[in-house]
Amino acid sequence: MDNVLGRDFISDLPQSIIETILTKLPIRDAVRTSILSSKWRYKWATLTQVEFDDRCVTLSNDKVLVENNLVKFITQFLFLHNGPVHKFMLTTAYLQSSPEIDQWLLFLSRKDIRELVLELGEQEWFRAPSCLFSCRKLTRLELVRCELDPPLTFKGFLCLKYLSLQQVLIAPDAIESLISSCPLLESLTLSYFDSLALTIHAPNLKYLCLEGEFKDICLENTTLLVAISVAMYMTDDIAEHFEQSSSCNFDKFLGGVPCLERLIGHIYFTKYLSIGNDLGKLPITYCHLKIVELYQVSFEDMKEILVVLRLIVNSPNLQELHISVSNNNGSSNTTAAAEAPDLDFWEKECPSGCMFKQLKTVKMTDMFGIPHEMDFIKFLLGNSPVLEIMSVAPSVYVTEGRLNMLIELARFRRASAKAEIIFIQD
Amino acid sequence: MFCPMICSEIHTGMGSSKNYPISLPPRVNPSMLSLILDYCRFHQVPGRSNKERKSFDEKFIRMDTKRLCELTSAADSLQLKPLVDLTSRALARMIEGKTPEEIRETFHLPDDLTEEEKLEPLKNTTDDPRIRLLNRLYARKRKELKERERLKNVDVEEEEHVDDRSVDDLLSFINGGNGDSKGVRTSKNKKKNRRRKDQLKNASSSCAVSSNNTSASNNVEIHKEESNGLDSMHQNVTIHDHVLHNMVETLKLQDVEDDSFAPEDEFDEGDIDDEIDPAMQEKIDREVEDFARRLNSDWPERMQEILSLGKGRRYSRLDHDGEDI
Repeated sequence: MDNVLGRDFISDLPQSIIETILTKLPIRDAVRTSILSSKWRYKWATLTQVEFDDRCVTLSNDKVLVENNLVKFITQFLFLHNGPVHKFMLTTAYLQSSPEIDQWLLFLSRKDIRELVLELGEQEWFRAPSCLFSCRKLTRLELVRCELDPPLTFKGFLCLKYLSLQQVLIAPDAIESLISSCPLLESLTLSYFDSLALTIHAPNLKYLCLEGEFKDICLENTTLLVAISVAMYMTDDIAEHFEQSSSCNFDKFLGGVPCLERLIGHIYFTKYLSIGNDLGKLPITYCHLKIVELYQVSFEDMKEILVVLRLIVNSPNLQELHISVSNNNGSSNTTAAAEAPDLDFWEKECPSGCMFKQLKTVKMTDMFGIPHEMDFIKFLLGNSPVLEIMSVAPSVYVTEGRLNMLIELARFRRASAKAEIIFIQD
Repeated sequence: MFCPMICSEIHTGMGSSKNYPISLPPRVNPSMLSLILDYCRFHQVPGRSNKERKSFDEKFIRMDTKRLCELTSAADSLQLKPLVDLTSRALARMIEGKTPEEIRETFHLPDDLTEEEKLEPLKNTTDDPRIRLLNRLYARKRKELKERERLKNVDVEEEEHVDDRSVDDLLSFINGGNGDSKGVRTSKNKKKNRRRKDQLKNASSSCAVSSNNTSASNNVEIHKEESNGLDSMHQNVTIHDHVLHNMVETLKLQDVEDDSFAPEDEFDEGDIDDEIDPAMQEKIDREVEDFARRLNSDWPERMQEILSLGKGRRYSRLDHDGEDI
């Protein structure tokens, strides 16, 4: 037993440091510090940032037991807690929908909660109680697997800056009004939504991340957007919808984002952008666009190539370009000959004297070596005076055409003396 | 930049000459300052890779705990957030996953929570009857401990008194042999035990009345009956009674605790043992063995006697002590 006075060198540090230390511990260890000494008895009880997960209880095969223990632990913690709770995080695979969660949320709504993260189990989705919508000071809200039904009187989260909804059941107009009623919203992430047609009004939005089956995305009034990442999945009825669409998706999506710095598009994004009548000649210049990453681009579809071209030609300050070719090109080698007449398309479509003055890095992956792909590389090499790296990686399905690809690459003229062509052989 | 406080001081014109020094906050002493300067000097060089910075950080925080705490304090008063984060993380690593004793040793914390406070349930009663029972037992235990505390103080005074006596008295004390000394102690213990017995009697009766459902409480009942029954047979062996009670309670407490008290497991484990000091512990062990031998010799008959006796006693106790709940 240590009873030497004056040798205790941690208990008298300022409370803010103690809180920093306790916050870096798993919450169970933080609570355990209460029996260290009399000074430590309630140091844990004023923590303002609490994170609960399945490590808080001893795991066992009895799921019901684990769930009950977790509920007890959290309830006891909250009941003994003293002071405001600014951040509450719960990540669990065991707890699903439970009446206690409603009570916790009610409790937290009275404690000035600012950041709330709930990731619950997979079985019965939790239905968020209305007290969630009365957390006036929320700045960050992340929900995974739940049902949201904002009450009619809900006027929005006026302080919300960061919103992330993943696998959340919510009516389409409810989500639109939720987004537009959060005037300070800076970052929005929507994942795994089904067939959502969405118009986004968010004047302060800077970061947008969308993933799921979106029928239609229209960015209205999002002039401050800096980074966009979109992954569009395709199902049959969305494909149909795409065929029938008459408006120009490119303009709807990228028409109003002059401050864009980074654009990442996965899966069917480029195809989505290529839909629409008259790939509008709206003169937009993306002065700040520096990084473009497009995956699953199909070089057999002329419209998709046009989308890519339009994007990069209107981005004078582009520095990095990654293009990954779509797998559907696997069967393309036989039809390559049929594409021959279109080969002068490059001279037609590309404005002469178009230089990519800042382009330094280009990465092409999953290539098949079809003419359009090679011509694209030729085009880039010829018009990028400061290019440093051109990295080319053939697709794993290409077994015999690699040498030909390499031979062609070696012939291309390079505008930049520093350009290196790196052929990745994996 | 790195250090807002010093920056702001510089802006107000301080630090430019010896006459206007930037006065450091009190928690920053010269050795800490030199450490902090090392840290800043390394990290402000822009060309270093993240890996280099990380390995520097790892090496940097390798120092004894006292200095680490001082460094954290100094960094905090200078508002050097990256360094505060680094040192806090190191301190957190020293706390995570360790037992309370280890943590107390690392930081030289005084173990000044009373037994009572350690046992005090940091939770609220739920509807589980076992939890209610447990809390009742805790309440009893707290009372006992308070008694013991008081008596200990009394004893301490008495014993000190004894030590001041003449050599002759001491000699006679020693020569009186084990019998006397034991006798002295027994009488004191008898005092405590009688009080404890009464409390436990009440406890068991209230248990019998209110918590009929759980097996745990039934077990406790039977044990208490048993020992009280035995007590009636062995009037002068009150120590054993007390001992058995304690052991049984200790065991029962540990049985009844299941994972639902997870936050408390760590609170209680080491501490139930701590309540009996080592010398007493040995004595108790010896007596328990002795007693166990005697018990095992004619157990079946005893069992019958006890149960029949116990049943009778239980009902009578209810009548008398019913209001003691």
